[in-house]
Amino acid sequence: MSWKMDKPLYSLTDEEQNSAATKVWEGESLGGIAEDNNRLPSPVVWLLGLTIISAFLVTFPLWGQRPTAEIYEDYLKLMNSPAVQAIDGDRAKMEYIVANGKSSNARIQGQLDRHPLEMDDLRMIEGQVIELQRKGVDLGEYTVVGPHVVLANFEGNWKADGTRERKQPWWDKGYTIDIFYVAYFCIAVLIVIKRLPHYSWQPDHSVAH
Amino acid sequence: MLKYLFRRNEDIPPGTAAVFFGFSSIIWFVVGTGLGSFNAAKLAFPDFVTGSELFSFGHMRQVHVLAVIFGWISMAFAMAMMYITPALGNTKLWSEKLGVWNCFLWNVGLSLGLTLLWFGMTSGREYSDFPWAIDLYIAAFIALPMALNVWMTILKRRTQGIYTTNWFFGAGVFMVTIVFIVGNSPEFFNLTGLSEAYLTWWFAHNVLGLWITPIAAAIAYYTVPKVTGNPLYSHRIGHLHFWSVVVFYSTPAAHHLMSAPLPEWLKSFASVEGVLILVPAIAFVSNLLLTMTGKWHMFVENVEIKYTITGVMLAIPLNMQGGFQQTRAINWYIHGTGWIVAHAHLALLGFSTFLEAAAVYYGLQTILRRKLYSLALANFHFWFLLIGFAIYWISMTIAGLIQGAGKIYEVPYIDVVIAEHPYMIARWIGGTMVFTGNIVWLYNMYMTAKAGTEIPEGRLPHELAYER
Repeated sequence: MSWKMDKPLYSLTDEEQNSAATKVWEGESLGGIAEDNNRLPSPVVWLLGLTIISAFLVTFPLWGQRPTAEIYEDYLKLMNSPAVQAIDGDRAKMEYIVANGKSSNARIQGQLDRHPLEMDDLRMIEGQVIELQRKGVDLGEYTVVGPHVVLANFEGNWKADGTRERKQPWWDKGYTIDIFYVAYFCIAVLIVIKRLPHYSWQPDHSVAH
Repeated sequence: MLKYLFRRNEDIPPGTAAVFFGFSSIIWFVVGTGLGSFNAAKLAFPDFVTGSELFSFGHMRQVHVLAVIFGWISMAFAMAMMYITPALGNTKLWSEKLGVWNCFLWNVGLSLGLTLLWFGMTSGREYSDFPWAIDLYIAAFIALPMALNVWMTILKRRTQGIYTTNWFFGAGVFMVTIVFIVGNSPEFFNLTGLSEAYLTWWFAHNVLGLWITPIAAAIAYYTVPKVTGNPLYSHRIGHLHFWSVVVFYSTPAAHHLMSAPLPEWLKSFASVEGVLILVPAIAFVSNLLLTMTGKWHMFVENVEIKYTITGVMLAIPLNMQGGFQQTRAINWYIHGTGWIVAHAHLALLGFSTFLEAAAVYYGLQTILRRKLYSLALANFHFWFLLIGFAIYWISMTIAGLIQGAGKIYEVPYIDVVIAEHPYMIARWIGGTMVFTGNIVWLYNMYMTAKAGTEIPEGRLPHELAYER
């Protein structure tokens, strides 16, 4: 196991070990099968890079995250207003609420656009949200799961009272672990591959076959 | 088989265990797909066979699933290991006798387990449905003897190097044993609730990711260079493939439970890992397709290559689906629908089945030293399998999208049932084509053993395929 560190991106192995490896590589027939020493074609390298970036981007919380109870607060205020009560039909009521319940907060409005609901949905969560408002809790820590309003499963920053914020933090543990995990994987595979004879060397299969 | 059980190891001809595993796998494939066709008929025609609890869908479905996974797929893997592992080490199988016993006990245990499931004795957990006693039997008499034979054969090899296929075989039998024991722990320790749900899907995910996918790929690493005569394109890409399977396939189990009250960070982690399943897939597909350089005519002419390369190419849609369907943005729509059933069949009946079928075709001809009885029947089998699978996959994917729309827009359930009825009929037609093709395959391989032309010493079966 001799290491050579002067040109790590070219090879991590000294000449002696390389020549021992190439001798075995060329001299052995593995059940009649031979192997070449080609490098990853560059389009495949790009594809792998694209895959790793996509893996983070397409799973980003924006895509498919559940709505929080916080975003429907204004809708719930409006639903019992005289203006809405005077409208006939649930569909028309909901259209009025959506048109007049727009949030000036872009984050909340974005979530409202992605999570539309109907009057019946509002009726199902109304009582639960009022109960939470009475308790004075942060509605941003509660998610709407179908007809239920439940405490979210996020593990966010620590609060002064020793509990955790139930909001996704920017450093979300899952993504943080992923970043290190992928980085370690790339480094480990790079080391494994750079310990092989350089790809400019190709075995002569006529030796063993 | 029985006559070899009590013979001395030296008196059992090399390849015996592989032949028994090979024929057992084909028979279980016929049984498994027959049950699949029966179950599909029940979904297409609700009045078909009613009045008996034993033949109800709830009893029959799990028998179909586990007959295919433990009977067809895993026994075909065992067959491949019993002849490929020694071949790559220029040696003999460590113990033919252990292999024959392994095959015998496998058939007995599986028959018993499936009978229990049929009679309604089940753990109730999807994919790990067997009762705990059968789980222990499988670990002790199926997984461990197979692993021992593979490891010892690799250890006793006569080569210094170990070819890529044997990395996967050696690691695969280790990983499946761990997955099996840990994945069934909810039953051993009476775990319930979220722990049970997580471990159930940890098992289901890993039995696919750390057993079926890598072993099927390992077979392709053998079949393509062996039959084409081309060297494997890249030993280096083999390393990338192997390590990315171990790293990225072992971690995304939580993506099966995106709507469960698991910690959200675990779902985020698993979801990223789920997309990264594309890393081994890209490595595998590029390595094998580049190995075909200059030999693409064999994709048309040669039965084993036709099966293998079809399987390799099916890995592309399989991993594109698998990688992205588990993200939150897509999962909310297709979770719990026929889309997932279609995806599971793309993995098991598409990708892996085609690779295993190639191993069984090639292995039986090579070990028996007999030329395939009928190339026409093999082609008939191929096309019935491919077209039947395609009809199944496409129809169930469409049915899944309809179910997803019905779920999201709260369409009355019975309206969704009516809307997807034509696709249930198409599913039954596709599944029945696969079943029919397999009966033909069984006949073809039986006749190959009985009346196939003998292959002269020094020649390989595929070299003689077109010679009369």
